[in-house]
Amino acid sequence: MRRRLWLAAATLGVSLYSGAEAATTLKLVEVITSPERTETLKAIVKTFEDANPDTNVEIISLPWGPSFEKLATMVAAGDTPDVVEMPDMWLALYANNGWLESLEPYLKNWEHTAELNQRTLQLGRVIRNTAYMLPYGFYLRALYYNKKMFAAAGVTAPPRTLDEFIAVSKTVSATPGKYGYCLRGGPGGVNGWMMFGALSAGDDVYFHADGTSTFADAGWIRGFTTLADLYHGGLAPPDSVNWGYNDIVAGFYSGVCAMIDNDPDALIAIATRMKPDEYGIAPWIKGVGGKSFPTIGYGGWSMFANSKHKDLAWKLIATLDGVTGSLTWNRRIGALPIYTAAAKDPMYADARFKGWFEELADPDVEPMIMPMDLRAWALFVSSVVPRTSQSVLLGKLSAQDMAQQWARILTKAKQSQK
Amino acid sequence: MQRRVLYWIIHYALIALYLLFALFPLFWLVKVALTPNELLYSEGIRLWPSRASLEHFSFVLTHSDFPLFFRNSLIVSSATAAVATLLSSACGYALSRFHFRGKTLLVALMLITQMFPLVMLIAPMFRLLVPLGLVNSLTGLIIVYTAFNSPFATFLMQSFFDAIPRELEEAAMIDGATRFGAFCRIILPLTLPGLAATAGFVFTAAWSELLFALMLNSSAQASTFPVGLLSFVSKFSVDFGQMMAAGVLALLPACLFFLLIQRYLVRGLTAGAVKG
Amino acid sequence: MGAYPDEGQAEPEVNARGRRLVSAAEPYFYAAPVLLLILAVMLVPLAVGLSYAFRDLLLLDPSGGHFIGFDHFQELADDPIFRDSLLNTVVWTGASVALQFVLGLILALLLNREFPGRRLVQALVFLPWAVPTFLVGLDWAWLFNPVVGPLPHWLFALHLTHDANNLLADPHWALVGPIVAAVWWGIPFFAITTLAALQSIPQDLYEAAAIDGAGVLEQFRSITLPLLAPTLAITILLRTIWVANFADLIVVMTNGGPADSTQTVASYIFTSAFRRLDFGYASAIATVLLLLLLLYALAILTLRRAMLLRHT
Repeated sequence: MRRRLWLAAATLGVSLYSGAEAATTLKLVEVITSPERTETLKAIVKTFEDANPDTNVEIISLPWGPSFEKLATMVAAGDTPDVVEMPDMWLALYANNGWLESLEPYLKNWEHTAELNQRTLQLGRVIRNTAYMLPYGFYLRALYYNKKMFAAAGVTAPPRTLDEFIAVSKTVSATPGKYGYCLRGGPGGVNGWMMFGALSAGDDVYFHADGTSTFADAGWIRGFTTLADLYHGGLAPPDSVNWGYNDIVAGFYSGVCAMIDNDPDALIAIATRMKPDEYGIAPWIKGVGGKSFPTIGYGGWSMFANSKHKDLAWKLIATLDGVTGSLTWNRRIGALPIYTAAAKDPMYADARFKGWFEELADPDVEPMIMPMDLRAWALFVSSVVPRTSQSVLLGKLSAQDMAQQWARILTKAKQSQK
Repeated sequence: MQRRVLYWIIHYALIALYLLFALFPLFWLVKVALTPNELLYSEGIRLWPSRASLEHFSFVLTHSDFPLFFRNSLIVSSATAAVATLLSSACGYALSRFHFRGKTLLVALMLITQMFPLVMLIAPMFRLLVPLGLVNSLTGLIIVYTAFNSPFATFLMQSFFDAIPRELEEAAMIDGATRFGAFCRIILPLTLPGLAATAGFVFTAAWSELLFALMLNSSAQASTFPVGLLSFVSKFSVDFGQMMAAGVLALLPACLFFLLIQRYLVRGLTAGAVKG
Repeated sequence: MGAYPDEGQAEPEVNARGRRLVSAAEPYFYAAPVLLLILAVMLVPLAVGLSYAFRDLLLLDPSGGHFIGFDHFQELADDPIFRDSLLNTVVWTGASVALQFVLGLILALLLNREFPGRRLVQALVFLPWAVPTFLVGLDWAWLFNPVVGPLPHWLFALHLTHDANNLLADPHWALVGPIVAAVWWGIPFFAITTLAALQSIPQDLYEAAAIDGAGVLEQFRSITLPLLAPTLAITILLRTIWVANFADLIVVMTNGGPADSTQTVASYIFTSAFRRLDFGYASAIATVLLLLLLLYALAILTLRRAMLLRHT
């Protein structure tokens, strides 16, 4: 009788014990979704699950278009994930409102931290010098050009300076129905305005020492005017005032416009639709003082501060951004690597990546980080810029007035940030 | 005689114009769905691709979660149509037959629910449904859709009942039947076309709804096909060919259903059943 | 006759009262399910949403939420973008509904006559209603895009436009795109309801008028239109409310641009909520829209009642 009691107690104990080790589920949300990316993500996540047998990862893929609204609605209602894909533009909003966990303590003890290149940690720490996200790769602008259209117009080499760019555009646009530059006048067009502004200003300083914006300075105004003149002079398609990311890429591979400034991830869409000898990639053009300022963007992984499984969540991030994980991911998304050693990977040795690595090695090329740490930046980019820049392109507003409006807004944003 | 001929010529000409206007965009959808990727832009303006291909359709059916989304949409739309029609026929009957305190208020409330932009309702609604566990579920979607479609469905059912004279059920009640019995056994069968019409409208509305489906559900398991269509818009490339193919596939049941139902829509809305 | 002396007399009275109570409560039983559903699922969130208009609520900012009274409304009164979007909304709603109504009415009149193939034509011509609005927007955006669509080239060939550019990129004409798409999608709704109402008009009225010598147009004016009017009033009311709140087509086709020229109140609410992240302000705009629509509904319903009284 007593033995049976002991047996029962032992069984109970064992079952309770194994019950205590039941599977934990981590929630991972991806926001820049595409069917191919989701497949790759699932594969990397599987390696994590294999290494941590008691953990399941639930991957939630938000459709890219409304992903911002969707994630914001979820988070505001308390439906937060453990790990989330964090685009550079959203970091200020989530980090400044206390939603994200600082990764510093984890980075201090991580064996791969020393192998990350300097830019990775610099960009992960833009908010209050604390790593609220660990970048997974970089997007650097370069100049894609259509070799077929160049040949048809008699252009032999891609332009290296702003003046050459304008001249080439004029030559290509001479053919009716063809245009030199795929201008992004719609959503997300801020990069173009910043790059052209910086080219004529000769530097990428956004604020004077006293905290006022540099946009109202002569150099930046000249740059904005140059871009507007490209459109007014018929060097960009008339439609392009409305164009977003997909439209400019489509315009490029359908042979409407010959040049586009874009990141390495556009390569994936272009490579499936154009033959390798039909297009090329060159470093972004240089302006005043022989300097070039292509914008640099990035995405990464963040942990939510209210996660109930922080250590596990870090392990997931470490796998996603580990040496193999990060390379697999970047191969799929076409971003530049976060590890110093990864630059030697055969993928990046491909001729098409030459342009970007040339940029990275060139001392006169300064990748430009836009002031994404400002709380008001996201609204500036999504509302003010399209509205005012489209007015300029349509001739309803002068570039100078636009520059002054922008300067006022950013100065106020900088001051209220303190 | 000449005038009649002229009349019929104009009649047929106008019909032809309407047909052209209604069907051309649908034709274009099908055309894009059948155009292979490399010809999508280079042959954009042609009325028919030089090489039609079913590659987009096969991709959508085999490589994406589309069959799952399709199934979810079918479940949600059918359930919503059934439940909404049932509940709204009861409410429409009440509005048609009775004068009661609060009748005007009820109608006013139903009207008001249609006036507030859905975008602003999403956040409070989400917060309401999270603790109930109704987020990320097909059931939650069915409940929300039923609530949203009930006002219009009630209005439809009320007009169908208005066309049937009260004498019918009153005669039955004098003979000893309960009102509910008379309702079920006499009135409802007479409004079968009206029921079909209401179910048709609600099914179509639920089938194509995007905002709630997108915001309230995030996992693939609980997504409907309009959300699935959005997944073809990715940062890498908007796969228009695939999206149009998915759209055509999704249109088929809705169009089929609508083709079957629309005959009843008109007949049902016509106060013809008993009035004659 | 019961076991107790006065049972036989009391029973019918209790029963009668009970039955009266039940019958008085009857309508509530029938209406209850729908009422409870919309109260719980729609009116509670509506009330909460309206309350945001009086609070300082920024998306994802946990520190906000204080009551600020009518501040948002004052800001709204001075907001030029709101004024412009209001104007756009009137144009957008007015043009869409008017065109859907007129074209739907004509279609209904055409379908009201028996002719060979009518069944098939009727089924085909109502198909646009079955297409999800997101797809409608995309489809028409493609049709208007000169690179992949035929419309700009046809319009240019017909000398209706002076170049073959994208209509949607022109701030003066951009709103035409979503309006055309909305009309294409909405005609079936008007056609169906109008056709049904047409078919319920007794034929003898027309026959009597014809005997009296009235022509087709006169018959239309004196018989069709007045009898149709009450139904039309409700249909127009409902469509106007839906269209006014309807930002889908505009967002998909033009995103409110270029330069905010196609921004309507509905899309401005979306922008305020999810770009400016100001839920309080967005709610205030939605409240104003709600009030305007209520006034409009009141006006239409009063008109309709006057029309009904005149004809009974």
